[in-house]
Amino acid sequence: MKILVITEQRQGKWHQTSWEALAAAQQIAAETGTTVVGVVIGKGVAPLAGELAAAKLQEVLLVEHDLLEPYTPDGFIAALVQVIAAAKPDLVLFPHTYQVRDFAPKLAASLGKGMIADCVACRNEGGKLVFVRQVFQGKAAVDVTFAGSAPWFASLQAGAFRADKLVAHPSGKAPVNAVSLELKPEQIRTKPLELFREAKQAVDLTQAPVIVAIGRGIKAQENIPQAERLAKALDGELAASRPICDEAWLPMERQIGSSGQTVAPKLYLALGISGAIQHVVGMKGSRTVVAINRDQNAPIFEVADYGIVGDIFEIMPALAEELEKAKAG
Amino acid sequence: MTTQRERLEADVLIVGAGPAGLACALHLANLIEKQRTAGDASSSGATPLAAENIYVLEKGREVGAHQLSGAVMDPRGLAELVPGFEKTAPFYTPVTADTLYFFTKHSAWPFPFLPPSLKNHGNYVVSLSRLVRWLGALVEQSGVNLFTQFGGAQLLYEGDGIAGVITEDKGLDKNRRPKGNYSPGYEIRAKVTVLAEGSRGSLTKDLVARKKLDNVNPQLYAMGIKELWEVQPGRIEPGVVAHTLGWPLDKTLYGGGWAYGLLDNRVSLGLVIGLDYADPQFDPHEAFQRWKTHPFVRRILDGGKLLRYGAKTIPEGGWYSMPRTYVDGGLIVGDAASFLDSRRLKGIHMAIKSGMLAAETIFDALVAGDCSSKMLQKFPEKVERSWIKKELWPVRNFHQAFQRGGLWGGLLHAGFQFLTGGRGLVDPMRAHAGHEAYRKLAEHAALADEISIPIKPPERFQGDGNLTFDRLTDVYHSGTRHDDDQPCHLIVADTNVCATICVTDFGNPCQYFCPAAVYEMVQENGGWRLKISAANCVHCKTCDVADPYQIINWVVPEGGGGPNYDGM
Amino acid sequence: MNIIVCVKQVPAKDAPLAMAGNWIRESDISFEMNEPDTFALEEALRLKEKHGGEVVALSLGPERAKQTIKEALAKGADRGIHVADEKSYELDPLASARALAAAIQKEKFDLILTGLQSDDQGFGQTGVLLAGLLGLPHVTIIMQIEAMGDAQDGRLRLKRELEAGWFQWVECPLPALLTIQSGINKVRYATLKGIMAAKKKEIRTVPRESLGVTGEPSQKVERIYVPQKSKKTEFLTGPPKEVAARLVEKLKFEARVI
Repeated sequence: MKILVITEQRQGKWHQTSWEALAAAQQIAAETGTTVVGVVIGKGVAPLAGELAAAKLQEVLLVEHDLLEPYTPDGFIAALVQVIAAAKPDLVLFPHTYQVRDFAPKLAASLGKGMIADCVACRNEGGKLVFVRQVFQGKAAVDVTFAGSAPWFASLQAGAFRADKLVAHPSGKAPVNAVSLELKPEQIRTKPLELFREAKQAVDLTQAPVIVAIGRGIKAQENIPQAERLAKALDGELAASRPICDEAWLPMERQIGSSGQTVAPKLYLALGISGAIQHVVGMKGSRTVVAINRDQNAPIFEVADYGIVGDIFEIMPALAEELEKAKAG
Repeated sequence: MTTQRERLEADVLIVGAGPAGLACALHLANLIEKQRTAGDASSSGATPLAAENIYVLEKGREVGAHQLSGAVMDPRGLAELVPGFEKTAPFYTPVTADTLYFFTKHSAWPFPFLPPSLKNHGNYVVSLSRLVRWLGALVEQSGVNLFTQFGGAQLLYEGDGIAGVITEDKGLDKNRRPKGNYSPGYEIRAKVTVLAEGSRGSLTKDLVARKKLDNVNPQLYAMGIKELWEVQPGRIEPGVVAHTLGWPLDKTLYGGGWAYGLLDNRVSLGLVIGLDYADPQFDPHEAFQRWKTHPFVRRILDGGKLLRYGAKTIPEGGWYSMPRTYVDGGLIVGDAASFLDSRRLKGIHMAIKSGMLAAETIFDALVAGDCSSKMLQKFPEKVERSWIKKELWPVRNFHQAFQRGGLWGGLLHAGFQFLTGGRGLVDPMRAHAGHEAYRKLAEHAALADEISIPIKPPERFQGDGNLTFDRLTDVYHSGTRHDDDQPCHLIVADTNVCATICVTDFGNPCQYFCPAAVYEMVQENGGWRLKISAANCVHCKTCDVADPYQIINWVVPEGGGGPNYDGM
Repeated sequence: MNIIVCVKQVPAKDAPLAMAGNWIRESDISFEMNEPDTFALEEALRLKEKHGGEVVALSLGPERAKQTIKEALAKGADRGIHVADEKSYELDPLASARALAAAIQKEKFDLILTGLQSDDQGFGQTGVLLAGLLGLPHVTIIMQIEAMGDAQDGRLRLKRELEAGWFQWVECPLPALLTIQSGINKVRYATLKGIMAAKKKEIRTVPRESLGVTGEPSQKVERIYVPQKSKKTEFLTGPPKEVAARLVEKLKFEARVI
């Protein structure tokens, strides 16, 4: 079996989840006795292909064309159809990014195939791959398998697999092979224009990898900066349980819970939150939960991986210091 | 600010799609259809009646969303409305066994005999929500215009009566400023407006006060708190009806518990508590949770799962609390008009019957082209001649006796009433509004001079998370939701009262009687402040009934919000 | 501008979930329009108000899904198409898209709008797949739609959301398919007149099997379950500085989240 991993970059910068997808592919390959091929796609991305080659891969395919920069779904699909035809993989893996959501399903469909998207886990059951997806906004999970013949397509949720588990190439570098493509301008129907950044009017907590959430234990609005400091040290977003937003200490869009957002970040830090069910349903899909509360019986500890029974006003500054140290060092 | 409102006109406008409102709509549509097929056009040449000109307003997201009851239903009302319903209705199971227990803390004593009022042979255990949903489908099929997610916010008063209703403004933010999707309420004018809002309806409350429609007694209320559970197979058979008296309610408290076996290993259970108790810090929700720990109940629930939670007030006042049910252009039906037999604990059949009698009254009025009191007063006349009166008359003094004499006094009076066709020892037996029963804290505490502001309230019940639950967890299971950014629908006339005299006088009972954790006193600047979490509201109306100063006015929030009583 | 909006009926957000085999038990739960689709519908209605034309509500689902189509009609959609399938939950996104594509084969439209994903199965693919099957260009995660020049035969200028606070304008020719980001507009309320008028609007019902498209699955749901938390909370004790240091260590080396 051959696994093709489609990495993502924009303007020469990696989308970091690409490394997670590669690590996942290597894991699957190790379990099923198959090989992994990495793909770098764009224009002027040879240096990135070189970087990729340091990983334990059978080869790296460099897919370049003028018409692949900037990204368009038509361009990428047309290119990857050719890559897949040549490489003949069994499994095509993507990191589940906004861009992948934009083209990957159509790519699979153009080959008459379906795609299992946004998987949080993958396991090998007697030679058959079982992918796990979340449904009902994380309240339940489904085990999904592919039906029909290869190639199969799947994308992996950010943070579901660990990039640091990536295995390096045993003897230095994998071969990098350029793929020749045929692309015509008429194939590309949408015209991408300027990219720009906006001061985000709305915060999308569902995309935040780290969330620092405050509850009633914060006691007063003027204490919030202490939590903000923690969020900054973790490169995370600030959020809150309902009572905080009711008081308008934080805007409604930062509310986590049954009447707010449902999130599943890789780290959720709950400060002074009791853990009422209305809140917990909004965050229990989080990968790692740390709860700090002075009440040892607070229900939040039932969903926490790490718990500290203590005064958040003593813990917050101490934790912020340690995190800032770790960040700097 | 005068809002520009769109105007609509209907023949009949029914506020509330519960059993009474839907029975009225369906029966009226049937009468219209019968007239049409009989080719019996009105001789005055007026436009023939049509079901499309009957509007029903329902504030819930769907028909049935706000319907909650135990319930054991006497089928006679539904059998008249939809003959042969047993073959097509999916919502009931026949009663197979009837039991009454007296609970002490550790034991359950079965009553040696069952009072006839609690004999349920021939009755059905039903899900009121499902029943209403089913009725709603019939109503829609008949051509009636049923509008969900719209509430009656204000009455249109005209002359001596009412001319219609204004629906609630939608799309206002917390501060009453229009949002992007602002949609002002409609002015719906109708020849007859039927108030079928249920217990403590807000428009009904307004109409009764404004037009002085009160009877010799004010309405008396109880609160029913209910949970729907899925239990291990075999714990309780479908159709088994069990009622309990006693623990944890003491002899001064009116009320009791119930557990009804439903199909699919489901159980409906709950506690009814009269809202005229003396201790202002009594917590009905906590009493219900404790009741579940009784070995009899625990045995049923162990290993089971909570599915839904809800609460509602119940009008217990009976005949002498029934307001005048008609004005020019208006009728009151169902629970809103006190059509409930508190001794048998049944109101659904009466709600349906009252809706049907109202429909007949309205039909005659429309045909005659006269919807004034002259025609509409035929409604109470019809009630007088119907089985509603036959059933309510003998229990006309029932609930009041408990207010006077506690559990044992009440039962004693009930015995006398039973033997004398309801007259009993005092007729009519007067009663006072429930909120007047509170005894001030100072009267409770022997050490009156030790009370000072701020008072630390008793610890709130936490529950074990398995068999018993804290209020917030229960509220979550009511499925209640409201758009957060809207004006608060719980209007407290003077929050200074809450922050000062209510603290010392009563200890802010709203924190305890609200089954949905809406009200909370929080400390601020060395004093207290009332914090209202309106989004938790399950529309039970307990606060409107039980607040000691009667300064809380429940008004209809933006339509579509509220609990989701699927299966209840 | 003639627009088709795909709307899905899903279990109400707070419905208690009871697992049964490879789906949930549907008795005694209520249903509603998928929230992301409400924004797509609102966007379609606004475009109609601006440019004229027709809005068609398209839904694949069992009989009860008609209720969701009626809600769309009550808000202003002109007619509805119901692709009927009592077991629609069994379809993978490719099969669903095939059915939808076949149902609108004879329709004349300029634009198809969908929500980003459904709140129940959350595949997030159906819109893009539909575009592929119909051979349409598509743009996803749209924040804003502007017609360039004459909307009738022109192009659209679209603001697309990217990750981490980045956005991009994209030009796209018509006909096209767009997936609409949630929260970009304030969804309107159905009016009383709208609810009444909806009763008279057409809903064309097409049984899915009659469309002659393959329901052959590309993937199979083996089972649905509530993930059991094998979590045992590790409590850290000690003075704040110590506890903080230990926690950072754990997060770094054990949980590997920082």
